[in-house]
Amino acid sequence: MDAPPKIVEQLLRALELPDSDPNLRPVHAIGIGATGAFVASRIARDYCVAEHFSGEREIKVTVRFSNGSGSAVQRDGWSDVRGMATRFHLANEAATDLIAMTLSEFFAPTPEAFLDFLTVAKPEPARVLSPLRKFLDLLQLLQPMPNPYRGQTYSPVPGAIRYADENTGAQLAVMHAANIGAPVSYARATYHAVHAFAIRAPDGVRRWVRFSWRPVAGVLNTDPTKAPIDNYLKQDLCDRLARGPARFTLMMTVGEPGDDPNDSSRPWPLPRLRVVMGELSLKHVIEDEVTEKLSFNPWRLVEGIEPSNDPVLQTRRDAYCVSSQRRGGAPCPFSGSSTHGGQ
Amino acid sequence: MADSEGKLGRFVDGLVENKVFNLLANWVLVPYWAWRYPTKKIEGGPRPSSQPGDNIQRMMNLVMRLKDTSPIGRAKAVRVLTQHADEIFSGVDNVATVHFARFDLIGDYICMLSVYDGDFSNYIRDFICTIGSFFDDIIALVEGGDGVRPTEEHVEEFIDWVHARDLFQAPDFATDLFALNDAARGVPPGKVHALRTLPRELILQLRVNPNLSLGGGYRAYPGVTSAQIRQKMGIGW
Repeated sequence: MDAPPKIVEQLLRALELPDSDPNLRPVHAIGIGATGAFVASRIARDYCVAEHFSGEREIKVTVRFSNGSGSAVQRDGWSDVRGMATRFHLANEAATDLIAMTLSEFFAPTPEAFLDFLTVAKPEPARVLSPLRKFLDLLQLLQPMPNPYRGQTYSPVPGAIRYADENTGAQLAVMHAANIGAPVSYARATYHAVHAFAIRAPDGVRRWVRFSWRPVAGVLNTDPTKAPIDNYLKQDLCDRLARGPARFTLMMTVGEPGDDPNDSSRPWPLPRLRVVMGELSLKHVIEDEVTEKLSFNPWRLVEGIEPSNDPVLQTRRDAYCVSSQRRGGAPCPFSGSSTHGGQ
Repeated sequence: MADSEGKLGRFVDGLVENKVFNLLANWVLVPYWAWRYPTKKIEGGPRPSSQPGDNIQRMMNLVMRLKDTSPIGRAKAVRVLTQHADEIFSGVDNVATVHFARFDLIGDYICMLSVYDGDFSNYIRDFICTIGSFFDDIIALVEGGDGVRPTEEHVEEFIDWVHARDLFQAPDFATDLFALNDAARGVPPGKVHALRTLPRELILQLRVNPNLSLGGGYRAYPGVTSAQIRQKMGIGW
């Protein structure tokens, strides 16, 4: 591919952690893959002409669940954003990706602001506040600072809060991220594709929408008062799928005039039209070697779905390509030769 | 569970759930911070919005304290509702913008909870036209209502009266509370607050505003009016 924009290099450098592994993804480093099928709802085709919403056939999918951290050390039980990247396998080896996370909004509206955020939220040595400091915080009726986990050597939380103290736009995401917890299972979390996309209906109507996956089994986190377990999410998924499919409903929120499609740091108001677009059933866990070669990209779209001008989304296209190239993943579809398909 | 290091650290961590500390905090800390940062009650009802989705399925949570809170006084309120049942159902049918409406007796309060489409003032005006006599009878039983009876002759006063008793609806996105508290205090928009002060902002608002509706609530079919549902389902309008 051509040299990536400077901002991509800067972001990837800023995302590096003391225990990152260059052979893994720079974020969402630890993950597990699964395959299954997506069935569009009866009304999905009324809203979008994209092939996977046509309802003509079951669409094969590959999903990668992940922990949000770029650390190569598995810490399933630590509070962290989780990811769910879904590839819909379409006819003629075409494909489209939907990339989502458990956070319902992004930290910053632009890549430049995100770089500022990462610079301020640079991991710093994790430390327990002194009892006096904690007591003074209580006297001020402040949200207590979280204690580091046993074995936690660095933390981005103090820096993230410092950034949010100066930047109102980051407050919602920082607050959600700081309190997000750990799911008991990858199949028991809601995942939001925070960017808006324009979809086209058969009658030509174009709508701005946002997608989210809702677990049919319900959302459930681990008990934060108990000692966290480092490694359970992969085994849980294996055990769960051995018993039966893990299912998710794909919900689509339709934006209105006034809802900004280009700012993923601000969720749209809740009273917006929500449409059930289909159901995903995951059936089999796949080998790590296969999963880790996959190169998802939020720009891998199909006829009927267009990206917004969200500058963060624009940058993610290149960032995913660089990530794939560095770790020896499948070729990025935006590096030159192909526009669809591949892994 | 995170590591809090040391007995003293664990003790301080546990203070949030400690009854004695909470008692002291309510007696001393909350009044102190209320004095430092005077906080006004945020007005009730849905906030103005020019976006269509925000003006559909709006919530009204009208909470009215009964004058007579004895079982007999509460029974009188039930009797008024029973006597006016036909009037209420007929009126709400004809207002035609109501998704649901119900009355609850909760402790010393009679509550009218409803979900409606469109402008709040017009919603109340419609009610005065269609079930005004019911409101006259129920208001006679609640505190502070004598000045707005009969409602047909006190339309604007009655709208303000209802608005004052409609619960503040906490924002769906928690950090929006900073701006709402600032607006109630008369602080110009744009002030940036330290994120960790959010619990204090909530506590100070709850001190002056004991009842609130927690967010806009769940809607199974957001963005759709009562009239659209009736029309699509083939049951009228």
